[in-house]
Amino acid sequence: MSLELKLEANDYRLPPTLEVIRGNIVKYGNPLGLKGNEIAGWARNLNLPRQGDVLLYTGGEYQLVPYIDSLVNMLTTMKQGSAGFSLMLGVRNLINRVGVNPEKVVAGVLSRERERYQDVSRKAALVLQEMGLKICYLGEEEVYSGALLYEYGFMGDLRQHARRVAGLIKSTGARTIICLSPHAAEMFKLIYPRLVDDFNYRVITFLEAVYDLIKDDRGRVPSGFSGSITVHDSCRMARELGITEEIRVILSKMEGVTLIEPEFNRRWTTCCGGPGKVLFPALSGKIASRRVGELAATSADLVITFCPYCLAALDKGRREGQKDIQIEDFIEFLFRGIAQ
Amino acid sequence: MSSVLERIFQRYTEELNKASDDPNIQLALSRAVKSYRDNTAAAFKRFPHTPKLAGEVRAIKEKAIESMDELVAQARQAIEANHGQTYLAGTHEEALKLAADIIGTGKIVVKGKSIVGEELEIRDYLIEKGNEVWETDLGEFLLQLQHGRPMHIVSPSVHVPREQVAELFTKFFGREIPPDIAAEVEAVREFMREKYFSAHFGMSGANVVAADCGAMVIIENEGNARICTAVPPVHIAVVGIEKVVPTFQDAMKVAEVTWRYANYTVPGYVNIISGPSKTGDIEKVTTYGAHGPRELHVIFVDNGRSEMAADPLFRQGLYCLRCGGCMYECPVFQLTAGYFGYRYLGGIGAIWTAFVAGGLENAAPLVYTCLRCGRCVERCPVSIDVPSMIAELRRRIVELTC
Repeated sequence: MSLELKLEANDYRLPPTLEVIRGNIVKYGNPLGLKGNEIAGWARNLNLPRQGDVLLYTGGEYQLVPYIDSLVNMLTTMKQGSAGFSLMLGVRNLINRVGVNPEKVVAGVLSRERERYQDVSRKAALVLQEMGLKICYLGEEEVYSGALLYEYGFMGDLRQHARRVAGLIKSTGARTIICLSPHAAEMFKLIYPRLVDDFNYRVITFLEAVYDLIKDDRGRVPSGFSGSITVHDSCRMARELGITEEIRVILSKMEGVTLIEPEFNRRWTTCCGGPGKVLFPALSGKIASRRVGELAATSADLVITFCPYCLAALDKGRREGQKDIQIEDFIEFLFRGIAQ
Repeated sequence: MSSVLERIFQRYTEELNKASDDPNIQLALSRAVKSYRDNTAAAFKRFPHTPKLAGEVRAIKEKAIESMDELVAQARQAIEANHGQTYLAGTHEEALKLAADIIGTGKIVVKGKSIVGEELEIRDYLIEKGNEVWETDLGEFLLQLQHGRPMHIVSPSVHVPREQVAELFTKFFGREIPPDIAAEVEAVREFMREKYFSAHFGMSGANVVAADCGAMVIIENEGNARICTAVPPVHIAVVGIEKVVPTFQDAMKVAEVTWRYANYTVPGYVNIISGPSKTGDIEKVTTYGAHGPRELHVIFVDNGRSEMAADPLFRQGLYCLRCGGCMYECPVFQLTAGYFGYRYLGGIGAIWTAFVAGGLENAAPLVYTCLRCGRCVERCPVSIDVPSMIAELRRRIVELTC
């Protein structure tokens, strides 16, 4: 009884930013309607084949993160009382008053941020190649996994979107998918099999792929880094996918690296606040700062994480809290030792 | 023009932001979280069987919710055999009406802390009916004076520091109460004594109920629930139907796990009440109303719980013991306290708000606040999968808006 709405249907609208994101994924294949070359530009000079046994799937997520931050920045700096207020205006209102159009979002991204996040995918590809793995990539055809459709409850849209993604993946002939984002891995591993017929792939994260390549190797893994490191386990990795020990094994094989665990690690890790970013940007930022505080309390030189949203949220928390600790993605970290 | 949901969402977001900027809330919560984690870690060390017992409790709750209706019927029979009276309220309104019919008007009611009471907003309702109603739990009493709402289910005034308490008490009692916790507690104790002995009714909830013998278990530290349920001539218990488990032994297991995860290591009092007070000391003739209440009324409340039980995914929401452990682990709650809530708080509170206390329109903002980070599941003694239920509620909300 309570699950029926007491309100009239037209009195019951979702926050328009959710609608904007949904519409973009459905229409353009990614949450902000970025063009294929924005997402795949990093691969321009790598000549990755479109078909092969192992598919590198970026989902555009690292590439998209700075744009999402730009959108959120735009929303939080608007003077409409509070951010929450503006989020609840009608879609048309939102676009008219705030001008949320791709050009403006793109213009709000610092070029060094854009380059950093674009480069994560390139570095991932180079690391895997350097380690002897042959990978293929969908290039400008690649579309986002739809994780945010799932996150926000747009299951009907996701079902359709998933079929489109599944068709593309099938066309590569791959049997293994290496996902750069744990959110994509979660989708392909746990959600797609419920939505798409015959979606049977070996789905692994980048971290697991690296682990598989070195686990039986007795030699040391080059690190290109000397100092202490702490690990921020991502919620999806640790709790949803149960991946906690691989990173520790890899780090233990590295010369010159000392691991210091934060108080809340592995399955007890603290969320970076990223999931709340779009609807509750102020709160999300505070959650990130708290987590940065927990990580900085280790006095390590460097934080390593493995999720685009964690990376962006924590790095922002670090900047705003002026914490003297570096934050890197595992891919960036590994690239320095292996491929640079 | 903005819609009703927009206004609810807007007000809610403003409150969340305000709470996360409030230094009092931040200070109180960071202390509470630390002390919760330290205390439970120490308690688990001292009582290492606890996690295993929690696993048993999960199995007990699974079985109990599967046969909830039969167990409630059995518990009612048992309580009535013990000379108590029982009622089954289908809805919020029915529950309030049943209580009001028993109590009437112009009476004094002393009340122990009860989350079902919050769900029903029973205090305000009884006051509206012309009664004098006192919250006797210290935290709840503070909120009653402040006209505030609970910020945590176990420690409702987790956000109010002693200085604010002193200010509030000085005004209420009409004399200077210093910002000294012992003095503050003493002032309430003195005030409440008189209320307990002049009250016509004592009200309470129950943490768990045993169907086989009708025993209701009430866990507490202050002793207020003990007095509320023992001193006034009539005791009224308001209990959610999900609280019933098959046996007395089961109830003891549920109770121990509840208090251990609720940061009570060892509770001051565990009250077990199965019927009104009685004596057979004169000629072995059973006479009701010896030193304690001569009447016991137990109102079992459904109010959406059957709907939850019938849903294979949401059924697990009814396993919740209300220990409040999840809230201390929630990154949003750690910054906003009960502002991330409606009548029920936190992620699990979003589920309960949707089904029993506020409906989807009040639950929607909460449902979209949850990070789905899943750390609550790690803490939960019965491993309730809140993130999956949140995902499903979002799907249902979207479906309803399209």
